[in-house]
Amino acid sequence: MSDRSPPDAALRTVPEEALLRCADEPIAIPGAVQPHGVLLAVTEPDLAVVMASANATGFFGRPVDALDQVLGDADLARLTDGLAEGLTEVDPIRVQVAGEPVDLVVHRADGLLLTEWEPVPGAEQAGAAWHRRLPTVLQRLSAAATLDDLTEVLARDVRALTGFDRVMVYRFDAEWNGEVVAEDRRADLEPFFGLHYPASDIPAQARALYATNWMRLIPDAAYRRVPLEPAAHPLTGRPLDLSGAMLRSVSPVHLEYLANMGVRASMSISLIDRGRLWGLIACHHYAGAHRPAYADRTAAEFLGRTASLLLHTKVAAGEQSGVVEVAQRQAQLAAVVGRTPRELAAVLTDGPVTALDLIPAGGVAVRINRQLRLLGRTPPAERVGPLVSALLAAGAPVTDAVSRAVPSAADLAGTASGALVVPVGGDDFLAWFRPETVREVAWAGNPHLSKTTQTDDGPRLSPRRSFDAWSETVRETAQPWREHEVAAARTLAAALTDAALSWAAEDNRLATALQRTLLLEELPTVPGFALAARYLASAEDVVGGDWYDLVPLPGGRVSIVLGDVAGHGLAAASITAQLRHALRAHLLRASGPGVALDGLNEVIAALLPGEMATAVVVELDPATGEVVVANAGHLPVLHVTSTGTHLLAEGRGPALGLLDAAGYRETRVRLAGADRLLLYSDGLVERGRNGLAAGLEALREVVRLAPAEPQALLDAVLTAIDPPDIDDVTLVGIARS
Amino acid sequence: MERGSVAGRPALTVRGELDLATAPVLAQAVDGELSPPPRSLVLDLTPTAFMDSSGARELVRVARKAAAAGVALHVVAPHENSAVRLTIDLLELGAVVPIVASAAEIPAASAEREARP
Repeated sequence: MSDRSPPDAALRTVPEEALLRCADEPIAIPGAVQPHGVLLAVTEPDLAVVMASANATGFFGRPVDALDQVLGDADLARLTDGLAEGLTEVDPIRVQVAGEPVDLVVHRADGLLLTEWEPVPGAEQAGAAWHRRLPTVLQRLSAAATLDDLTEVLARDVRALTGFDRVMVYRFDAEWNGEVVAEDRRADLEPFFGLHYPASDIPAQARALYATNWMRLIPDAAYRRVPLEPAAHPLTGRPLDLSGAMLRSVSPVHLEYLANMGVRASMSISLIDRGRLWGLIACHHYAGAHRPAYADRTAAEFLGRTASLLLHTKVAAGEQSGVVEVAQRQAQLAAVVGRTPRELAAVLTDGPVTALDLIPAGGVAVRINRQLRLLGRTPPAERVGPLVSALLAAGAPVTDAVSRAVPSAADLAGTASGALVVPVGGDDFLAWFRPETVREVAWAGNPHLSKTTQTDDGPRLSPRRSFDAWSETVRETAQPWREHEVAAARTLAAALTDAALSWAAEDNRLATALQRTLLLEELPTVPGFALAARYLASAEDVVGGDWYDLVPLPGGRVSIVLGDVAGHGLAAASITAQLRHALRAHLLRASGPGVALDGLNEVIAALLPGEMATAVVVELDPATGEVVVANAGHLPVLHVTSTGTHLLAEGRGPALGLLDAAGYRETRVRLAGADRLLLYSDGLVERGRNGLAAGLEALREVVRLAPAEPQALLDAVLTAIDPPDIDDVTLVGIARS
Repeated sequence: MERGSVAGRPALTVRGELDLATAPVLAQAVDGELSPPPRSLVLDLTPTAFMDSSGARELVRVARKAAAAGVALHVVAPHENSAVRLTIDLLELGAVVPIVASAAEIPAASAEREARP
């Protein structure tokens, strides 16, 4: 176990207001420097010291009033020559102080010459070998084909040069949130690649500073700040502007931030694209204090400046590559749609190239021919349709903030913070979903669990706090949809609409024709009995699986059939036709309705595996009014007698297609006087407001009060129940005439 | 469709309607659960609001797929959920689909220790 305080305690030491305070902090005028060097602010041309860091006396071994007291004649001459020539030629001047080499770096601020003295001993040297390789490195940078390549080369070579444990390239988005887009790190470190940081991590005034000052270094984040003496500029009366000073002491909040992440030394180099801060090269060291030599830092800054010039060319190339990929997949999908027009939904979700491949998204919902299929991470099936309708109604089919358009969908943020919906005719649609960006972040583990990693150097904390802050800024929003992605979605939808329309029209024509053969033009007459039948198609004119039939049997009896095949459309209609005809054959041959249903069940088991149907057969002997009923999983026949209205619970067996051998039982009733029978399909009762049980009860009540004459009975039932038109509805009524 | 665990076994909970439109979603979800096949799988219809014959047909297909894969399937359909249970009983799906009225009727899986990791 470590003797350090636990990570959460460390986190709590950064109070909430610290982040706010940070934004107001005067970072350019901290009044102090870091202790790895000495700062002397002098007047020109006499080079008299007016302000000095408190460590100057110790460093030089004496109080210093003017630079000529500490510089040899030759060094002094080089400095004064440089001041006349232009400062950029000066840095650094290698001078000797107390027998040790020191790099002297100068710049002007507030009317003073700021001289910074950094000892060479103690600095890490990449060595001359690296500098000889500089042309190769520059070649690599300019040869990078994409932005990813460029940032990767940058991270790798800056790390090779400076020796930091981790070097990241960090890119700002439009709101100044950052993302790690490239990384080179010590092999044992947890990757930060893909992590996001909130804009507040690098406050506005720090960004302003970074846009002009290309490099910052903190060799030891545990340093003690060294104040300037005197604290105020003697001429202006204000603290000295240290924004250009390499020794500038940084905000204590920033040091706490580094400490929380276990960072002991850090360096950052600005990446500036055509005058705007584009990102940073951020370097971390964990193993201990770390100070690359001035020359190496300058070389790293040079790489950053070079990359900065290349950024806009690579950015354009990167954006372009996404466009090409999407266009390629669009072409592949269009080809698939053309080849397989009848199974569009299946092809788009299960094929080798799916709708989810078209556009980067978390999940996709495909609803074609009223069948919904989901792929990837989407809202639950029952929420998808309502969400899509709501987005279309809100005029927000393309949004990266679903909950803003449809507040009731806020709980779906985990899968659908972003939605791209394109209708495909009728109620059908394609919908791509993107999760809340915060959940998309590629944390190496769960950001809400322990983010402390025990290393050889002790526990190290990942920037969970940053993650939290950043999450707030992106709550319930997703990565925005790009223009070419929306265009690709719409193109695919148009192709689907065309294909679906032409095939749906064809299917519907066939199915309707088929169904017409299933419905009797005219019911045969049965002596002494009146019969009526009704078939109502669903509103979308999608043919369902209902059928009814009247089969005159030898000896004067007649079988009245009502059946229902699970499913809709052409497939169901063709099965319906097969079952109707098969049942006819069995009814003619069988000794009774139960045996006929056994035969039909065998037909399904043998020839139509996986299909399921229900059917009820009522065998009527008109001479006696005797009725034999057998029911294969169908809704119970309603029998109205003078004593009441009964749902026939006897003579039942399982739905057709469940078992290889079902053994259907029969039940017998007698139709006397004003008795009547009603056969009906589930479309009549199951979609009622209170479900099937309530639907059956309502039907029983209506039939009890309705006229006995079958045509009038069916009219009364349909008027009273008014079934929803999403399913087909079939009714057959039988009574004595 | 929601993944979870019931009676210590991997489970799919079906919310909303199980009908012609959503049956393919159940099929996909079950296919996902069955590869690789767990020792058992619970399909919880307790919160299912509606089931039509297409939904019932899918249940039968699921039961056959599970049986073929050697997976012990348990479908939970409480009597109180009449919207679903009545359909199941009328079709006599119990002949093919192992139906239980509550999770308590499922034999404990403690010996098998196959709850989701």
